Amino acid sequence: MIPGKYRSVSGRATNNVNCGLHLVIQTSSLPEKNKVEFKLHKETPSFPGRLLQHDLERNYSSRQGDGRVISPSPRNKSSCISSTTNVTELCGLEMKTTTSSLSAFGDSSIQTPSKSRIRQGCHSAGPNVSGDHINLVSSSMPSFPILQRSSEEKILYSDRLTLERQKLTVCPIIDGEEHLRLLNFQHNFITRIQNISNLQRLIFLDLYDNQIEEISGLSTLRSLRVLLLGKNRIKKISNLENLKSLDVLDLHGNQISKIENVSHLCDLRVLNLARNLLSHVDNLNGLDSLTELNLRHNQITFVRDVDNLPCLQRLFLSFNNISTFESVCCLADSTSLSDITFDGNPIAQESWYKHTILQNMMQLRQLDMKRITEEERRMASVIAKKEEEKKRESQKQSLLKEKKRLTINNVARKWDLQQHRVTSIAANQDRKDSDSPSQDPCQVDGSTISAFPEETGSLDSALSNALQGLSVTDTHLVEVDGDTLSLYGSGALESLDRNWSVQTAGMVTTVSFTFIEFDEIVQVLPKLKIKFPNSLHLKFKETNLVMLQQFNALAQLRRIDQLTIDPQGNPVVSFTLWKYYVLFRLSHFSMQKINGTEVTQNDMIMAERLFGILAHVASSELPQYRLISILGDARKKQFRYLLETKGKKPGVVSEENNDSKRLVGENTNRATLNYTTRDFYNEKLEEIKEKKKFCKMYIEDLVKEATEINMKNEALQKLWPQMFIELVRDAVIEIRNKSSYMKLCLQQITDQK
Amino acid sequence: MATERAGTWLPEAGKLELGSCCGPRMLSPERLALTDYEYLAQRHVLTYMEDAVCQLLENKEDISQYGIARFFTEYFNSVCQGTHILFREFSFIQATPHNRASFLRAFWRCFRTVGKNGDLLTMKEYHCLLQLLCPDFPLELTQKAARIVLMDDAMDCLMSFSDFLFAFQIQFYYSEFLESVAAIYQDLLSGKNPNTVIVPTSSSGQHRQRPALGEASMLEGVEASLFYQCLENLCDRHKYSCPPPALVKEVLSNVQRLTFYGFLVALSKHHGINQALGALPDKGDLMHDPAMDEELERLLAQVPGLVNSVTASSEASCLPSRTPPRVGSPWRPLHHARKVDAESDGSTEETDESET
Repeated sequence: MIPGKYRSVSGRATNNVNCGLHLVIQTSSLPEKNKVEFKLHKETPSFPGRLLQHDLERNYSSRQGDGRVISPSPRNKSSCISSTTNVTELCGLEMKTTTSSLSAFGDSSIQTPSKSRIRQGCHSAGPNVSGDHINLVSSSMPSFPILQRSSEEKILYSDRLTLERQKLTVCPIIDGEEHLRLLNFQHNFITRIQNISNLQRLIFLDLYDNQIEEISGLSTLRSLRVLLLGKNRIKKISNLENLKSLDVLDLHGNQISKIENVSHLCDLRVLNLARNLLSHVDNLNGLDSLTELNLRHNQITFVRDVDNLPCLQRLFLSFNNISTFESVCCLADSTSLSDITFDGNPIAQESWYKHTILQNMMQLRQLDMKRITEEERRMASVIAKKEEEKKRESQKQSLLKEKKRLTINNVARKWDLQQHRVTSIAANQDRKDSDSPSQDPCQVDGSTISAFPEETGSLDSALSNALQGLSVTDTHLVEVDGDTLSLYGSGALESLDRNWSVQTAGMVTTVSFTFIEFDEIVQVLPKLKIKFPNSLHLKFKETNLVMLQQFNALAQLRRIDQLTIDPQGNPVVSFTLWKYYVLFRLSHFSMQKINGTEVTQNDMIMAERLFGILAHVASSELPQYRLISILGDARKKQFRYLLETKGKKPGVVSEENNDSKRLVGENTNRATLNYTTRDFYNEKLEEIKEKKKFCKMYIEDLVKEATEINMKNEALQKLWPQMFIELVRDAVIEIRNKSSYMKLCLQQITDQK
Repeated sequence: MATERAGTWLPEAGKLELGSCCGPRMLSPERLALTDYEYLAQRHVLTYMEDAVCQLLENKEDISQYGIARFFTEYFNSVCQGTHILFREFSFIQATPHNRASFLRAFWRCFRTVGKNGDLLTMKEYHCLLQLLCPDFPLELTQKAARIVLMDDAMDCLMSFSDFLFAFQIQFYYSEFLESVAAIYQDLLSGKNPNTVIVPTSSSGQHRQRPALGEASMLEGVEASLFYQCLENLCDRHKYSCPPPALVKEVLSNVQRLTFYGFLVALSKHHGINQALGALPDKGDLMHDPAMDEELERLLAQVPGLVNSVTASSEASCLPSRTPPRVGSPWRPLHHARKVDAESDGSTEETDESET
């Protein structure tokens, strides 16, 4: 009597319901009814809309629930069979009055056939077994009716019994029907499965739409193959231990929150758990024959163990709460899965949904009820490849980012150390350490840092497209990101010597300096001007800008539109005048923004009002030789030119001069305000000291000489009158005796001869 | 040759020193006691001669363009006008009283507008302004000046321009003198009289009383009269410039006792000392500089224009309307400097007038 052969046919053949499963049980012993057909998805709604077809659960409240109204349809039975049967006849013939009289229960049973006829009248497979001559008699036990059929009925439908819509609240005692194989209790009010343990040959038990709260009373039904418990109140899957041959288990529309106690059902092929309260899927081990698993309309967030189902072909996960592919990734490992639905899940809204699923589940033939075409598959693989690349890219990027972070931390630490050292040495720079405690002394261990250079070497080449020229070492960081060149650490300044591509150099409009001494930046500004001619925006952070005059250094650049001085590590920003000074000193750039704030006309006027006189004094009151030396080599030419033109007539000169003035990018009166870095300045002072020493000696000698001469002169002046008098007196005394003097003279003349 | 040049300018430099120096040593009897060399050194003539030669050496290439004679003319002219200290190194700026006064004056002229704008600034910011004129100006001096204005524990407070300027004047111009004063003050505070050896008669009785008095009123500082005696003594033997003793006496005569900083504040606020120093106008006229204001207005008128026009016009603005045919002449800045000097001379006269 056990059905010898199963044949499963793809549901596609009938009604275009793709997911339908027709289960045909062939029984060999009953030739006239050798086929019992279970339509798992019994009815197609009148309109073949995809969603409705697909989503049968939607009709849960109506009678055509997800479940299958499984109607055993004996082929050879005529459609009028129920009409011929007479109700009274039924009563009279079949009713075996036992100890008790007819109860109200009996009344209901009398009306059943007509009801079922109405419902099923239009159905092609219409003739229902409920037309059988059934006799329900209240049994000796007060609550259970006893059911008996006429022997004729028994012979005709010896293997089936339908008690649909009998308003049964309990299972009746079914006597003398031990060979019953099909039992239908659809649409009753049964709360407990009872009184059927004697039906040990039962193969098909339908308890759809009852009020059963617990699975029980089935332990003896060892041959049961189909158990339909849809639309009940079951909270827990239990007491199925002995139903080892179970083929179809329908538990849809219950309150089950967990899949459990099913691992022994190694023959189970169909499991319907739609419209339950499942939050996740697991415990599926042992269901070695499961081909279809319906989990629609739960609250499932993740799926596990599906890869342990070797025969699973169809899995319905529509209308759940799956949002990532990772939560269902075990599906990718299932080799048998060919049909899956995810619609109504958050995941299905994602842009990557389709191609991710297709890429990861090559075995799929249908997704969300649609056949997967080769084209789609190809697309998916292309996209997935891209995705993969992107992922690798982003991984590298994040790796680089991490390295960047570490490097910056390291640079920051070094900077801090340096600043502390500087502050301990130079008492007048006591400000900085208080400004930079926000830089946490990073917890980078030496090994990570030291590993950097080689790694970046290999990455650098691979990433040249995405991240142009990025070089990371442990002491500094240079980064070009779009139009921004970021330099961290003083070592980064050396990168300006590198050969930047014209394109890169042209693209860079923003240059940001972090953790670099401003004085060091000043030295590379000319290079910056040449290498990145389009840089319009300069950012300084932790650069030790402490004095207004340091801004003078920026005047040598070609152009600045924006200047951003981060207060961190730049005490100068705390001054009220700094902005105006910048505006004043760099007025030839006609800057647009300072620290993100638009520069207004009023700002310009204010700047001029505050510092205009300084420039005026500087330019107009400096002696010319100083002016020339201050303006430096670049302007010397200019001045030489001016010197040359000086000689010409004023009228002619003025025009030429205007031209030459235009060549001078910045105000000459401002140009006198320039900045020399501390080191350079000290060097200069040393030089001056040398010169001074020499000058001092030179002047000392000169002055000594002069004073000596002066002294001698004075002494001479003092002595001269006396000397003169004595000279005259000597002369007079000599010539007093005229004759002897004459003699003496003559003597001298003769002697000479 | 250089000697000759320098020699020809000597009288002028000497005159200059006579004008800006003060103290009893100016009188001729003392001059006779000195040798010529000492005299030149004391009058700082040597300083300027050395500096002139030094500058000449430093800029020899540029200067050879237009002649050494011209250079010396320019140099000593600028010394007279007080513009020689602009952007010079600190060692030079503090080398002579004239340089100090010139620097004070330059600072006032350049940043008067900042004070006029009403901004209160911190010591650090004032220091930055000073550094704009003298890149290596030491922070220490600015700090000391700020300490005159502010309490010790409020060094980060804001100061008005005039407060700072007058305090700075005292501190900068008389820095060596103040150092000595501080030492004397400390000695007085700790009970010993630094003058005992030098002036044993004057205050032997007084300084006997001192310890008791000092204990009683340690917080109030030192007794003014005793302090003055010490200072008078100091002025006599001090080789650096110090305020006129008569004015110091005036300052100290108003009070019984005073602290060191109290003394400095009084000095900085004393307009007589300011006048004696001659670098800055009176406090009331501090924001008043019509010539520069005029100049500034002219500069402001050019701001809204384009960069080019600003460049051109600001240069043109250097050229006063008085010399129209000289437009564009390379010598214009120099000429103009002279004009401004004339103006600045005028403004000194103004202050002189206000003194009287």
